[in-house]
Amino acid sequence: MPYVIAGPCIDVMDKSCIEECPVDCIYEGDRKLYINPKECIDCGACEPVCPVEAISQDRRVAPEYQEFVEDNRRFFTDLLPGRAQPLGAPGGAHKTGAIGADTPLVAKL
Amino acid sequence: MTIVDTDLLIVGAGPVGLFGAYYAGVRGLRTAIVDSLPEVGGQVSAMYPEKQIFDIAGFPAVSGRDLVANLVEQAAPYRPAYLLGQEAQDLGRGPANLRVRTSTGTEIVCRAVVVTGGIGTFTPRRLPAGEDYLGRGLDYFVPSARPYEGKDVVVVGGGDSAVDWALMLHPVARTVTLVHRRRQFRAQHASLRHLEESPVSVIRDAQVTVTGGNGVLDHVEITVAGEDTPRRLDCQRLVAALGFTANLGPLRQWDLDLHDNRHLVVDSAMRTNVPGVFAAGDIVDYDGKVRLIAVGFGEVATAVNNAAVHIDPGAQLFPGHSTDNPAPEPRRTTCRT
Repeated sequence: MPYVIAGPCIDVMDKSCIEECPVDCIYEGDRKLYINPKECIDCGACEPVCPVEAISQDRRVAPEYQEFVEDNRRFFTDLLPGRAQPLGAPGGAHKTGAIGADTPLVAKL
Repeated sequence: MTIVDTDLLIVGAGPVGLFGAYYAGVRGLRTAIVDSLPEVGGQVSAMYPEKQIFDIAGFPAVSGRDLVANLVEQAAPYRPAYLLGQEAQDLGRGPANLRVRTSTGTEIVCRAVVVTGGIGTFTPRRLPAGEDYLGRGLDYFVPSARPYEGKDVVVVGGGDSAVDWALMLHPVARTVTLVHRRRQFRAQHASLRHLEESPVSVIRDAQVTVTGGNGVLDHVEITVAGEDTPRRLDCQRLVAALGFTANLGPLRQWDLDLHDNRHLVVDSAMRTNVPGVFAAGDIVDYDGKVRLIAVGFGEVATAVNNAAVHIDPGAQLFPGHSTDNPAPEPRRTTCRT
């Protein structure tokens, strides 16, 4: 039921959404931000502040960005380059700091 | 130190906790309900008071504010003790009771706990430039307009709370200025229309960057995008309505089994792994959990009735029907200092 961040965020990373998120569930990759679906509470505070309209509910993602629903999840469940284990649900982006890596989908775009 | 002696402590005064207070009353339990926020309603009051909710059984549509008011009214005949503006921090477990200490030093002695903590403790997002004047001009909540009478007030924020408070204060304040970091406000359209028609002066694309005064706030400086020098405004009261952050907080130290680092694992009776501690609502997890208020209401009825049996093992689990009897005489929680 979470919100997801799609392609328009790549190489923009305005981060206004991070300031709005009440549960600190938006994590910083190398070129894009990612919402942790296990931690997002579906409140929608992030959506209106994104200057490039990259954020939407996973149930309402535009067809051309569908793959980002799964890709946001993969950022947390799959092993990212340079890490020993998947991120999982760390309980807040301030705890991890910037991750500095992206999913394969984002890295190749 | 205040000592509160009760049967059941409910942690979290959101919709699910409030409905739990009603059911605890039905069970004849003395009940106290603690919340870190200074008002009841939890996430609904803090984030969506004006939103219409369409999935409460029996209510085709109800605003968040009305739902919370109705829940308080429903529990009121049983006189639950509200302990607001304090966070439940430490859990102590004795042979015959549980003891919970709050952030203001209140000690609650009870026989069972139902945790309806949602997404955890809500904390107002801080205004870094103003922290020096917290309680001496800076506020994060506006429970009453009185302290603002005749003052120059600056409200910071772009959501419903910021706009509502600006509208609430301009009739009594000398001046009200609303400062928002962006161009667009996030508040309801109706409130924004009122704002346009009001004498509140609005500064967009701007931030309060300096606060000053000799011990007590008397001015602020506002940096506006595209302007070389900050604007200086007389200001004796500054209100920061920048939203909230939430965190499970001290509940992490209660030895409760957690799932995904933020949900309490419960069984079908809403028991956690700690005897006497039950949980319900958004904070719990089990296979198939759906995070809706509608579901939380059912869970908290289950939690409270099971807690009633935990407190009195001779009691029946089933509470009877609410149509059977009029409300019994409330048994009051006692507070002494």
